[in-house]
Amino acid sequence: MTDLRDMIGDDVDPEELERLQRVHTLLEQAGPPPSLSPGLARPPASGGDVIAFPRRYRPLAAIAAVAAAAVLFTVGYLVGNTGPSTEFTVAMSGSGGASGSLEIYAKDHAGNWPMRLHVDGLAEGKYALWLTRGGRLAEPCGSFAVASGTANVPLNAPYKLRSFDGWVVVPSGSRQPVLTT
Amino acid sequence: MDAAIALRLDLPRAPTGASIPVMSADSRTDAELIGLVANGDHRAFEELHRRYARPVLGIALRRIGDRGRAEDATQDTFASLWRSAGRFDPTRGKATSWLFTVARNAIVDGLRRRSETTFDAPPDVPEPGPGPDDAAESEWVSWRVHRAIETLPDQERTLIELAYWSGLSQSEIAAKLDVPLGTVKTRTRSALGKLADELGEELR
Repeated sequence: MTDLRDMIGDDVDPEELERLQRVHTLLEQAGPPPSLSPGLARPPASGGDVIAFPRRYRPLAAIAAVAAAAVLFTVGYLVGNTGPSTEFTVAMSGSGGASGSLEIYAKDHAGNWPMRLHVDGLAEGKYALWLTRGGRLAEPCGSFAVASGTANVPLNAPYKLRSFDGWVVVPSGSRQPVLTT
Repeated sequence: MDAAIALRLDLPRAPTGASIPVMSADSRTDAELIGLVANGDHRAFEELHRRYARPVLGIALRRIGDRGRAEDATQDTFASLWRSAGRFDPTRGKATSWLFTVARNAIVDGLRRRSETTFDAPPDVPEPGPGPDDAAESEWVSWRVHRAIETLPDQERTLIELAYWSGLSQSEIAAKLDVPLGTVKTRTRSALGKLADELGEELR
């Protein structure tokens, strides 16, 4: 601890020296005050002034808020329920009255062709949709299960469709088509 | 030697490099300023910030340790002060005590809020150091002393900070400030006298 008299000299009356000594002790106890960074050099934005909303306009504001909410809900509902646009639809047929349709939607930016396959009249089981080329299975487009003869499932073809000549549905693990385009 | 002094002088300094007014002649009391802030007076808010930014940051650093989070807590404190100034009742206590409470609450709230995003396990054993009462007493002393330092004229505030926390001897301070050693002693005594007046109750 630094001697106070070294700091202020000896020419101090005892009563004053005692008073200053207490300050001296407090300063040493307190430690240094921190320096302020530039970010703290100014007070934070004080949040502005709050202006009370006039009471007489409150019913009007409530009606406007409800109307705005209704409009926004309607717009959101319409936007949310608008599916992707169909590029083309391919019909499929098979033996025993089995049939299907394949809706192909617009290609996404990555080159995927989203699709929805609907089949009727197929036996219960698991199936796969394939693209064909030259009478052979070429690339798979996904698997699906059929219960009660029907299925309606989203599938995908991440290929250049122009390089294929058709689609077929085959039972899983088989190469024998049950639906063809 | 110059290099040594330069290094040591990186210790705390008055915010003279910052863009705030260094020392205003504003003679309004803290209580008056809080009353004005309650009515949306931005200048009064700035003056309170000038007086209390360092004391608030000092407490925040003691509590939090981390400089960045302590600065956030300091900003939170002044935001809280702006919002709650209307609740200050000068008949129920001193302004500096009320401000101290606002600061502590804002800092503790900030700690709680931010601790929700961390996964540090609580310590199983008490941490070494002063207990809660001692810590609170120590915070209060620092608060009052640091606030009192802000009342000094620039020249004396710089001198006190150099004398107590830079590690410089009186002769080195005289050389640094380019004034005679006797002047350093006289000014130190004058500054201590003003601090004694300001800290009245703490000295009893």
